[in-house]
Amino acid sequence: MSGVRKRQRRSPLMVQLGGLYGLWLREVKRAFRDRGQLVGGVSRPILWVLILGIGLNPYFRGEVYGEVTFVVPFTYLQFIFPAVIALNIMFTSVQSAVSVIWDREFGFLREVLVSPLSRATVLLGKILGGTTVAVLHGSLVLVLARFADVSLTFTDVLKALGLMTLLAFALTSLGVVIANRIRSFEGFGIFSNAVILPLYFTSSSIFPLDPALSRAQTRIVYPDWLVTIVEYNPLTYAVDSLRGVLINYNQFAPWTGIAVMVVACVVLFSIALYDFRRA
Amino acid sequence: MPDQPTPVSPPLAIHVDAVSKRYGRTLALDEVSFAVREKELFALLGPNGAGKTTLLHILSTILRPDSGVALIGGVDVARQPLAARERLGIVFQEPSLDDRLSVRENLELHGLVFGVPRRLRRQRIEEMLALVELTDWAAKPVKTLSSGMKRRLEIARALIHDSEILLLDEPTVGLDAQTRERIWAYVRRLRAEREITVLVTTHYIEEVEGCDRVCIIDGGKVLALDTPDALKQAHGQVLLRIMPTTEPDREAIATRFADRLTGKQGAELTFVSDEAFVAALLAEFGTRITALNVEAPSLETVFLSLTGRELRDRAAGAREQTHAFGRRGGEHTR
Repeated sequence: MSGVRKRQRRSPLMVQLGGLYGLWLREVKRAFRDRGQLVGGVSRPILWVLILGIGLNPYFRGEVYGEVTFVVPFTYLQFIFPAVIALNIMFTSVQSAVSVIWDREFGFLREVLVSPLSRATVLLGKILGGTTVAVLHGSLVLVLARFADVSLTFTDVLKALGLMTLLAFALTSLGVVIANRIRSFEGFGIFSNAVILPLYFTSSSIFPLDPALSRAQTRIVYPDWLVTIVEYNPLTYAVDSLRGVLINYNQFAPWTGIAVMVVACVVLFSIALYDFRRA
Repeated sequence: MPDQPTPVSPPLAIHVDAVSKRYGRTLALDEVSFAVREKELFALLGPNGAGKTTLLHILSTILRPDSGVALIGGVDVARQPLAARERLGIVFQEPSLDDRLSVRENLELHGLVFGVPRRLRRQRIEEMLALVELTDWAAKPVKTLSSGMKRRLEIARALIHDSEILLLDEPTVGLDAQTRERIWAYVRRLRAEREITVLVTTHYIEEVEGCDRVCIIDGGKVLALDTPDALKQAHGQVLLRIMPTTEPDREAIATRFADRLTGKQGAELTFVSDEAFVAALLAEFGTRITALNVEAPSLETVFLSLTGRELRDRAAGAREQTHAFGRRGGEHTR
């Protein structure tokens, strides 16, 4: 054996970056070895796009006895397509945060805590890993674009990937924040479902607030509480910005989605880091 | 990084000075002080709950001491945890491997996380795999390994980076006798091949015989610290174990020599002994004994005379306590 006494020095930044890469790679490898997660990632969009999307398609135009009441110039399939991407990212992001509990329970966390990596690096590695997997799962939906009658250019796809990354980062951070407050796997499952589905359903993902109506009219057509929830739900703006890129339909100013997501990324990551440093 | 070790002579690998740690109302460590010399094989011996793991967690920078100073190669673990961690290779009591990654991937990850340059990393991984005889298992997922193999892998992992000091927390607990012996063989080989200091905690007395020095710790206090031989000379006692013929005999002997009695296990009685005592006992009860066994001083008796208890008796009870503590969300099982 080489009796290495000389300390092989790398610059501290290089050590952090190397460690970041290692932890990221670990998350990605683990995700790909988890069959259940992959099956979910593939079956979920197929269910939503092919069954729900195609099934509800004829009812979307809101023709009542030949009289058109809605003026969303898209098929339901096109309308729901960007939201299914968001849904797939949501499930995967929050699910990948479950490994925080896993690591704590099965001791791996300790190995990292006695390494020269800072807590921020450890957390960032984990969240970036989860983000990567979530974006990949989101991209699986993009493959279904032609079934949904959504035509994409190369730049559209790039822009969409950028937005998806922001969304996935924010949601993985959210998952970690939840996981830090929950001690068991079962609790996490219940809690994450209690967060994911309501957040999704009230983000105007599966129904539009009719853009032809004024704000006051909207509140007459729809129940007041529902409009309020939709407007306060940050996910509304993320889905809206994705729609803007993919089917060219915005209910809000196009930049709001990006702004909301950047703020969410910063805030949620900071909370997660604060928890992690304290733990 | 200003981590130039302060010159100390003779060179000390680990220096623990008046370290105390309290969990709520329990005083886990009470002003513990000791020093480990470079390249030494140093054992911390004590029953479960003695404070060994707490001490190791302080050395490995997971816990901060309430008071006192702990130095690793001259670096204060509380002030410069990152510099201290670079020098340490740690094997915790509970496994901390990633079950879903392969053996080699676990080692790769450790190398990356500790900033070992790629070429050196590759080379070390092969060397360490060969040393702990896991080369054939390199591509297998860790979850398919036996617990003994996992332990070996963890020892290998702790030495992928430039660790100078290896901390092993109960490396043989829960393993069968044969596997335990093998783990120790690896530790010996390591010391022969690489210049490292090893600090090991254990509650198996027979394991510390081969160590350079032994520190006996109980109730958070250092009771004795010396080479195994010196400990035996200073604190060892000759023990006499007898098997009385009948139950009344047993009672009679126990009452007659109550002042020397140290243990009653089943039908057996144990006394602290010397030649005069053996003569006296045989003269009086010689015909009422079926078996008699004189035990030369061992570390077992050293522990007994220092604490008034047999290590083994206590181990089970305290183990339960530790587990109960863990279930309540205790610090060191988190």
